[in-house]
Amino acid sequence: MTTASTSFIDRRTVIDWLGIVPFMVFALAFLIVPTLYLIVGAFFNPAGEFTFQNIVDLFSPSILGAYWISIRVSVASALGGALIGFFLAWAVVLGGVPSWIRSSLLTFSGVASNFAGVPLAFAFLATLGRTGLVTVLMRDWLGFNLYSTGFNLLSFFGLTITYMFFQIPLMVLILTPALDGLKKEWREASEILGASSWQYWRMVVLPILWPSLMGATLLLFANAFGAIATAFALTGASLNIVPILLYAQIRGDVLHNPNLGYALALGMIVITGISNILYIWLRTRAERWQK
Amino acid sequence: MSFLVLDSIKKSFGQTQVVKDFNMSIEKGEFVSFLGPSGCGKTTVLRMIAGFESPSDGAISINGKNQNTLKTNQRNIGMVFQAYALFPNMNVFDNVAFGLKVAGKSKTEIETRVKEMLKLISLDHLADRYPYQMSGGQQQRVALARALAPKPQVLLLDEPLSALDAKIRVSLREEIREIQRQLGITTVFVTHDQEEALSISDRVVVMNAGRADQIGTPSEIYNRPTTRFVASFVGTLNIIEATVIDPAANTVKVGENTIRLRESIGALKGGDKLSIALRPEAGSLLENAKGDTSLTGQVISSHFLGSVIRTKLEVGGNQISFDMFNSPDAVLPQSGETLTLRFNAHDFLIIRD
Amino acid sequence: MKAHKIFAWLAIAIGAIYFFVPLIGTFEFSLRMRRGVYSFDAYQSVFTDAQFRATFGFSMLMAMVTIVVGMLLIVPTAYWVRLRLPQMRPVVEFITLLPLVIPAIVIVFGYLRLYNSSSWIPFTGSTQGTNILLTFSYVTLALPYMYRSVDTAMRTIDVRTLTEAAEILGAKWPTIMFRCIFPNVMSGVLSGAFITFAIVMGEFTMAALLNRPAFGPYLQLVGANKAYEPSALAVIAFAITWLSMGLIQLVSRFSKLTPSRP
Repeated sequence: MTTASTSFIDRRTVIDWLGIVPFMVFALAFLIVPTLYLIVGAFFNPAGEFTFQNIVDLFSPSILGAYWISIRVSVASALGGALIGFFLAWAVVLGGVPSWIRSSLLTFSGVASNFAGVPLAFAFLATLGRTGLVTVLMRDWLGFNLYSTGFNLLSFFGLTITYMFFQIPLMVLILTPALDGLKKEWREASEILGASSWQYWRMVVLPILWPSLMGATLLLFANAFGAIATAFALTGASLNIVPILLYAQIRGDVLHNPNLGYALALGMIVITGISNILYIWLRTRAERWQK
Repeated sequence: MSFLVLDSIKKSFGQTQVVKDFNMSIEKGEFVSFLGPSGCGKTTVLRMIAGFESPSDGAISINGKNQNTLKTNQRNIGMVFQAYALFPNMNVFDNVAFGLKVAGKSKTEIETRVKEMLKLISLDHLADRYPYQMSGGQQQRVALARALAPKPQVLLLDEPLSALDAKIRVSLREEIREIQRQLGITTVFVTHDQEEALSISDRVVVMNAGRADQIGTPSEIYNRPTTRFVASFVGTLNIIEATVIDPAANTVKVGENTIRLRESIGALKGGDKLSIALRPEAGSLLENAKGDTSLTGQVISSHFLGSVIRTKLEVGGNQISFDMFNSPDAVLPQSGETLTLRFNAHDFLIIRD
Repeated sequence: MKAHKIFAWLAIAIGAIYFFVPLIGTFEFSLRMRRGVYSFDAYQSVFTDAQFRATFGFSMLMAMVTIVVGMLLIVPTAYWVRLRLPQMRPVVEFITLLPLVIPAIVIVFGYLRLYNSSSWIPFTGSTQGTNILLTFSYVTLALPYMYRSVDTAMRTIDVRTLTEAAEILGAKWPTIMFRCIFPNVMSGVLSGAFITFAIVMGEFTMAALLNRPAFGPYLQLVGANKAYEPSALAVIAFAITWLSMGLIQLVSRFSKLTPSRP
């Protein structure tokens, strides 16, 4: 392969750029252009005129309500997942438990974080539904009727605990490497300088960890926000979260305005996009300190 | 009056005994090095002084106070780690201030003291920098300032220079010694590098397999090693197999040469084998050199190493390495040449295993 | 340190309960089909359901096709950006992360508007066309995972040096690709393949909105209509996911890769 030419576009460079074409065509056709189509469409009305009306309509009570519920479920499951996930990750990395527990937990987390969607809904229905195992056991062993307290799996709370089944493992998977990065010497240095455990955690560990913690929580939030299958299978269309609203819109134009559907999608992209950008920014900050 | 006393310290991890009956008294303001190969237990002893490990047996006391019941953060000891261990989320100022902050000192006290420390290590212009923005040598100096800021009673250094470039190692070890002298703080320095230990210590402890083989000044350790291990670990050493001629007269035979040793041979008979040791720089080729003994042998090889010319001689079945300083008109000994080495009988050391 | 350990074990206990109870509950529920007695009736019902076999088979096929198409697209691309066009690497990596940011439902919405029967590439105009579109949508969903597995494997074996060695020995690029590169990144390819398999088998949104008879929509349908079969299906789905992850572990353990250090 001789490239003795001195011309501006030489053969090798052309081939170089050609090699990337299949991927680029794919990405454009099946990822970028469809998304852009929706984003652009959000700013037009059915008559083809440019308008901001769709964006304005997003703030109507029913749609805003859908966003609000989505945000609440996502925040709740993200925080719950983050909290429990953090303690689990801490337990296996720094808690002094046998190493087989750590590898089991990580393997299981790998599986559980992928076990979302419809089967997850079934699993929780079978456990905490009206005739679910736990409900029945609580009634038979503890004399405690779960459903009489007003608890219902098919609700905001029910969806949150269901989501946490994959949020917790996701947090464990993200946080374990960050906790591994805490050097043993930092703890020893802080001890010999006179600090108590609590001071070490407050002054050294939490500041070092918080970008990873915040970032992971944001990731969990975005993850929950975009999810639909579990919610659909669990609550049917009764819990009005944004993905379900969008689903109904796609299926049957319930909003009677296709462009409003685009705006709905745009809203979702904006929210998940911002979360991910923040996550990446925080992760870069965290990595800088781990040199 | 001994300041830091280690009394019959033993440490086992499971079935392995890592430190076997270690005893040492260190004076106030003394700079002591623990020297030895990896796994000899020197870091373990250091960590026991710090409180990270507790001795399986024995007691450690500082200034008369038994440390066994004190937790690490109650001992008021400063430590510098091999991996610097600076807190990455804090800048230089905050790192150095950490021990003071934790002790609840006032803001002005902290500021004065930190500035003082930064001046001591000549890094006051870097107070705002973060660890990831600094070189290894700079980070280690900050670590030193951080350890010294709370005015500890003892300073511990765990192979602090091992992670640094050769040039920095030399300049930093001198800086450490200088600061230590200025502050008069009792210091324990762990290293596997004998040049480090010999050049800056008041006393050196040579450790081998959990035991202190010899404790002495650098000169004593080097010139009068008491065990074969110390003799071979510290500096290069020729170990010569000699045959006893007359125990009463302390004479031995090496090849065709008779040597009268200054040390008493002790409970050996004529014909017994004896190991004696000789430093490469001990002898001289000069005809009129001072010395009451000589060794004659054949040159095997000779190498020009820059400031030193190293010649290998064959004497009575032994290979003896012999160094002489280079000079512009020095002539390299030729292979096969017969050379006579002159030295003093007391340059020989008897190695009793 | 004692208090530490107690808390650690407590955290683990809570984690274990949270994870195992739903799984146990699902399994127990799936055994309840026959009144009063534990039996595998629900499983029997599922396995004899023609719809189950049809949709399971369809999703399996889709998964295989997705893996093949995906790998044919990704392995050369990952190789190319490592060797010939490193300046495009950040762009490619960013693109492979987009499917994690843009929700699947938004993506498929875009497809439906862009490629419906009245647009200029009418994928959804025919069943075959829709299947093709579904395949590409699955490739898009699996893109982050497939790319990351393959890219990591390539980084580990230092493709640049391998290629240069092969070139000096006279190999042409197809030979290099198929005889030198592919075999060595096989563990990365397989890992990516297994994750893709798990994703495609469980996928609901794309298949439902594109109206294809995949396993995901079938699950949802059963959930809406039957009582005990859903939990049996959930157990089966979990087993599939577990199997895929297990195979990934196996593959990485038996991989002949060791990082090459200069």
